[in-house]
Amino acid sequence: MNQALLEKFVIYLQKANWLIFGPTLIPLDSLDEEEISPYLTAHQPQTKKDNGLILIKQIEKPTELVLDDRLPFYSFKHFFIPEGETLFKYKNNSLKESFEEQKVALLGVNLLDLKAINLYDQVFEKDPYYQARRRKILIVGSSSVPEISNNIFAQKYEEDILEHLPFDIFFANDQQPTINNQHFKVFSGSIKGQRILEHFGYKDYQHIQFSGPIKEGKPDEQMERLRDKLKNKHNQKIWDELGTRCIECGKCTLSCPTCFCFRVDDYPGLEKNSGARVRCWDSCFYQEFSEVSGPSTSSGQAPKFLKTTAERIHFWYFHKFARIPDEFNFIGCVGCRRCAKVCPVGIDIKEVLKEIEAS
Amino acid sequence: MNNPYLSEPAKIVKITPQTDTVKLFRFEFVQKVWGYNFSFAPGQFIELSIPGCGEAPFAPCNAAGAKYLELCIRDIGRLTHKLHEMKVGDKVGIRGPYGNGWPIINQKSKIKNQNGEKKNLLIVVGGLGLIPLRTLILGKDKFLGKDIKVQIFYGARSPQEMLFRYEYAKWRENGIDVKLTIDKECANWVGCVGLVTTLFDKFPIVENAQAFLCGPPVMYKFVLEKLKQKEVTDQDIYLSLERRMHCGLGVCQHCAVGPYYTCKDGPVFSYEQIKNIPGVI
Repeated sequence: MNQALLEKFVIYLQKANWLIFGPTLIPLDSLDEEEISPYLTAHQPQTKKDNGLILIKQIEKPTELVLDDRLPFYSFKHFFIPEGETLFKYKNNSLKESFEEQKVALLGVNLLDLKAINLYDQVFEKDPYYQARRRKILIVGSSSVPEISNNIFAQKYEEDILEHLPFDIFFANDQQPTINNQHFKVFSGSIKGQRILEHFGYKDYQHIQFSGPIKEGKPDEQMERLRDKLKNKHNQKIWDELGTRCIECGKCTLSCPTCFCFRVDDYPGLEKNSGARVRCWDSCFYQEFSEVSGPSTSSGQAPKFLKTTAERIHFWYFHKFARIPDEFNFIGCVGCRRCAKVCPVGIDIKEVLKEIEAS
Repeated sequence: MNNPYLSEPAKIVKITPQTDTVKLFRFEFVQKVWGYNFSFAPGQFIELSIPGCGEAPFAPCNAAGAKYLELCIRDIGRLTHKLHEMKVGDKVGIRGPYGNGWPIINQKSKIKNQNGEKKNLLIVVGGLGLIPLRTLILGKDKFLGKDIKVQIFYGARSPQEMLFRYEYAKWRENGIDVKLTIDKECANWVGCVGLVTTLFDKFPIVENAQAFLCGPPVMYKFVLEKLKQKEVTDQDIYLSLERRMHCGLGVCQHCAVGPYYTCKDGPVFSYEQIKNIPGVI
């Protein structure tokens, strides 16, 4: 599929009532102030490289879509797990369920964010709100394929990578990207994807049968090493040191595609005795995260179990690199390093993992 | 698709004050689904919700097999305060039960240790910690068998703070050895004074014992020391962990302890299972 046809495909989706979102380049001068903090800009100027920022926005014109290998600043997480979602609306004592209705097409989902969707699919397997939303989402992945001319590699790319990612349609950019002349090899990954391609009138694609999130054969060695260190060779020093640096801002949890923890709260509405029960993102870095009921401690704080910064940052790493591997047999980190990019005190996950492995 | 967050409406049918701040609420389910039947194992918990105040986890404490559900609740936060203002006939939502209770139910054959030998039971509880064990105590013969000896060490702040105090005579009649202590000396109290650990110094514990613990985290540390002195092994000690479960389904992460979720894998754990997890109690 070439660029012109891709643009037609975008218009086709729009006409079929899909609300389309995808990576787009936001020029520096039109960036909303809230998109990126001034502090971060001052400390990590490279995040605004190329005079702009790749952000996921609603695509009105097909030309706005940017399908190269630059990672969007935020992930696609909130399309799957919204920042806040209404579980029930209540009036007096009766609860009414509330489900998502809008069809959403996500275009240009990169390999790393696709990996994260594998995790959501597992975690929210029995969640009717997630499943209702998921049914209405069309996932169109994309990435460039290095050295596609080498057949052996192309084979591996399909078997080792694409087979284990959840998408409906996938565009593999198999040429050196030159401006306005991209060429994509097209794959379908679901019946839904096939139907849409066929209906659009595009036949030149191959189907890839999703074979689950885990590669066949031996479990991932790095996953095994990290899990063993965290579970059996706890090294308090690493966490004490990180505890002195981390300021518990929670930005890493917001930008992390695999952070999904949430709290459930009731929000009263304007009408008497009405309101909504809302599930919204939480962060294990926040003081309230592990609070339990009971009388306050002598220092006036509510009783809690993650008492120190060190305990809280350890909890974050333990979840991704021990608990998720225990539950699903894959690592709870896609390796995007967004957390390092937004960290105001420069904690880099890559360095921390090296330290854990070396401990 | 089933919605696990949906709660069953339940009506308050009886309120019995226990202390100045604790009431025993009895609920009956408003049967919206015909034949809806609620049953739970001792030590499991439910999520109770009041629209506008959210949800919180509580352990049911009524006798097993009853047509109603009893929750013994202290007025301490927004939700529980609202509940304490409610009257007979008012409604709440209840979903559950969740988790694994005390280890006897699963191993049908009553309490046995790993060698298949029958064990007596020592229950060590402090304050509100007695609540999740009341079902087990009331159903002693059913859950444990008549030949198992049960001993309770219960510590409360004062005699007025002792939960279910009008039932102790009945428990004793049923062969249960109830030992009580209060934190500070007070008039009209002739029994033991001191923290629950004091009871270990005053009375011999039941021989060949397995121990069930429930109470404030600070209690665990000291009781575990005492049990060690009495040579109760870590496999024979079970404790109920306190965490704030938001979802109850093993998803939200609030109640995670090391590799476990308190809601799904607990709230009752053997000490052997969790002793190496930093910050667990």
